[in-house]
Order: sequence, then structure tokens, then C-alpha cells
Amino acid sequence: MSADGSPTVATSGLSVSFGSRQALEDVSFELRSGTFTGVLGPNGAGKTTLLGALLGTIAHRGSARVEGRPAYVPQAGAIDASFPIDALGVVLMGRYPRLGWRRRPGPDDRRRARELLEQVGLAAEARTSFGALSGGQRQRALVGRALAQEGDVLLLDEPLTGVDAPSAEVLLEVFEAERRSGRTVVMTTHDLAQAARVCDRLLLLNRSLVAAGRTDEVFRSEVLRRAYGGDLLLIDGQTALLDDAHHHH
Amino acid sequence: MLEALDAPYLQRALLAGLVLSIPLGLLGCWIVLRELAFFAHAVGVATFPGVVVGLALPALGPFAGALLAALGFSAAISASEADHRLRGGAATGLALAVALAAGAVLLTARGGGAAPVDRLLFGSLLAVSSADVVLCLVGAAVAVGVLAVLLPRLAATTFDRTWAGPAGAGERVSASALLVLVSLVVVCALPAVGSLLVSALLVVPAATARLITERLAPMLAWATGLCALETVAGLLLARALDLPPGAAIAVVTGLGFGVIAAASAAASRLTRVAPA
Repeated sequence: MSADGSPTVATSGLSVSFGSRQALEDVSFELRSGTFTGVLGPNGAGKTTLLGALLGTIAHRGSARVEGRPAYVPQAGAIDASFPIDALGVVLMGRYPRLGWRRRPGPDDRRRARELLEQVGLAAEARTSFGALSGGQRQRALVGRALAQEGDVLLLDEPLTGVDAPSAEVLLEVFEAERRSGRTVVMTTHDLAQAARVCDRLLLLNRSLVAAGRTDEVFRSEVLRRAYGGDLLLIDGQTALLDDAHHHH
Repeated sequence: MLEALDAPYLQRALLAGLVLSIPLGLLGCWIVLRELAFFAHAVGVATFPGVVVGLALPALGPFAGALLAALGFSAAISASEADHRLRGGAATGLALAVALAAGAVLLTARGGGAAPVDRLLFGSLLAVSSADVVLCLVGAAVAVGVLAVLLPRLAATTFDRTWAGPAGAGERVSASALLVLVSLVVVCALPAVGSLLVSALLVVPAATARLITERLAPMLAWATGLCALETVAGLLLARALDLPPGAAIAVVTGLGFGVIAAASAAASRLTRVAPA
């Protein structure tokens, strides 16, 4: 892991296009270790694309760099929930990449996987099949798998979307613990208020970078309005977002 | 019936069937879990013109001819599926029909005689030679060895491709290796069950196993055990009733699936009626 406070995630002039559609344009920022960054923006703003570029799975121009190893939690919708595996098996999968081609997960890996299940509050569901878990429990298992990767940078794609409130609380505690232990945590989200409450940095995207910085600098109506435009509503000085989840471009 | 087991040809048939059951059962699980059943069936059919060409060209031989046809087919289908307009089996279905037709045309053009078409399509487990058995042993050993190494990667990539790619879980390597193994094992199984029926052993025992368990390791064990059991049962049935063995085995796998599917449906209805 890099020294505390040094940049671990950085992009410079990052641009991505899918055919004729420009998904990201000239995005440059730096994130330091020991921070918890919320990536905000309307649908189609390029949040997931940004994570893909950082992971190297999406072709891009400019640079997108992760210092150290990334651990990743994709959106839960992409997963085959009928695959025959239990919660413990899902977390154990996080150990595979570091084991190489020849070694099998050993007792140490299993012990670590059980500790992580404990941490995400799924100890009692260790032998429950993934398909039988609730949405929130599935998301906790997937976060457990990412923690098992023991990466330096934790990239989370909408980890709290469609997750029940108790699960969301558990997950936010886990993310905060990761930040405290010096990791760089990056989370895309639709939930402005939640991001403002739990993240210490915000990154506001709308294809290009609208704002990046400390939460108190970015979470201001005049800044948010540049990303969300007319979808943003101000009530008694409180910011509310109109119907973002169903918003289409 | 059992005294007939003294016959060397039957012992060879049993040995070949049991040895093949291991890679067929294990591979079958990945085929079912990755939704490749139709593709696996088409690989079997694609070997048909390859065998015919191999028989016509002694320098090539039916084994190499079939293997080249299976590998060529897998590569062509993988490439065409990259075009999202052809996903969902369109290219597979087209290539399957073309392969079957090409095999028939080539067989007729060659004048027939040496290889009856039903034997190429449905196999002849009772006629496998010692050389066929050795080929089965080698093919099975290679397939089981590679699958053992790939197991964690296959699990991780089948469960969640989006994660496995960036996590470095070897997504491309495991997907390509799986296609090569399917080709290899299908070709080894051809003398026994033929190009049309090989998918019965590759898909049905694994699909049956999926209904029995919610865990991967037991599923792999069940699929292998069922494949062996159904092969032996089919073979004995074929001997007793003087049926073609490949067809008898395929019918037994179908019956096995039917019984387990009915039992599983009844069990889930019972648990719904009487909640715990």
C-alpha cells in the first residue's frame, strides 16, 4: 500500500466513447489513500464507465491509473444468481486470483472468508445458497468477496442501490472501516443525501467532470445544479433530487 | 445377463463408457451452468463431416478429422457470437444444419460403404476397439487434469464475468480452454455414442445433477456418477433387448432426468403446501 495520503487513483484527460456517443470527456482528478469518495451524477453521466476505465476493462484515451491492486464490487444485477454456490463460496472466490493457477484455497483462506462473512453480518448465512439470499444479503456477500481480494483500492458500483436499510448500514460501516485502514474507497451512487452524509470526498460527473473535492465544497446547490440541471429541487435550503432513478437521457 | 460381461467386446464397451463418464459428467456441469447445451450438441454434429473427410483421407484419419472440425466449429462460433446481432444460438443453429448436410453430402460423394451413416451419427459402443479405449483414457486424463486446474476460475467466471475479468480470474483462458476440452471429449466419445447422441451424455446427467443439489462439488460428483450409472444401465439394456447401445444410453439418461425432474417438482410442491 502506498504511503498515507498519496494519490492512489488518478485520471488525466480521460475520455471514453461508445461508437458516436461520448461517455466521458477529458476527466482529470486525483484521489488519495484513506479517503471515501462518492461518484455522483445523473443516469448516463459515466459513473460505471469511469470504474471500467480505472479497472482497464473499457478502452479509453488519456490515462486512468490505480496504484496498487483494485478490488471491485460490480452492480449486483449482472450476476447469475442460479449458480450453485453458498455465501462462504462467494467470499472465498475473492481469494482465487491471488492464489495463482496451481494452489487451492487452504484453511487460512477459509478462516479469512469466515471472518469477512462475520464483518458483513452474514456469519449465520455462510452455507445458504446465493440464490436464496435477499438482495441486501447478496450485496453483502459480494462486498465480502471484494474484501477477500485485499486490494488497495475498493471500487464500488452502486453498492447500496436496492439494498434494505439494515444491510446498507452494515455496508457503510464496512466501507468506513476500509477507509480508516488506509484504503481508497470509491463508490458510485444515485443517492445524493447519503453520499453527502457518508463520503468525505465527492466527484460530480456529467460526462465531463463538474466538480471534485471535499464534500462540503461540492455538496452545494450551485455546484450540484451544474450536473443535474432542472432535476434538482431546493426546499428550505435542503437539496432534493427529483425522480433520478427513472431519469432517462 | 451378467455372464455376458465375460465377452471382451462388452468389457471394452463398459471400460470406455465408465472412463468417458468422468470428463463427460464434469464438463457437462460447466456446459449446463454456462448455458452451452445447444453449442455442445452442435460441436458433436460438427464432427460428422470431419469424420467423413478423415475416413476419406487416411493421412488425416477420423480422429484428427473430427477434432479439427470440432475445434474449427468452436472457434468460428465464438468469433461470430462476438457480433451481438447473432447471439442466442442463430450462428450455432445455422452451422449445425450446414455440418449435418455437409457430412451427408460428403458421405454420398465418397460412395459410402466403409462407414454406415447410422454408426457415425449414433456410435457403436459395443464395437469400440482397444485403440478407442486407449484414446478415451488419454482424452479423459487430459480433460480431468485441465478441469481440476481450471475449477476455481471456471466457478468465478461462470458466477460473475463482470467481476472475474478485472479481478484477474483468467476469464478468457478458462472460456477458451473449456471449448477445447468440449471438442476433445466429444471426439473421444464419438466411437461410443456418435455425433448426434454425445450431447445426451454431455448435457443430461449434468442437468439432472443440477436438480439434485445447490452446491457445486456435489453437482460435479452427481453428474459424473449419473453419467457412469446411466451408461452401464443403457449398455446392459441394449444387450438384453438387442438395441443400439448409444440410443439405449440416451433413452436411459432421458428417463433419469424425467424421474428426478418429477421428484424435484413434487418435493417443491410439498414444501410449498406444508411450510416449515
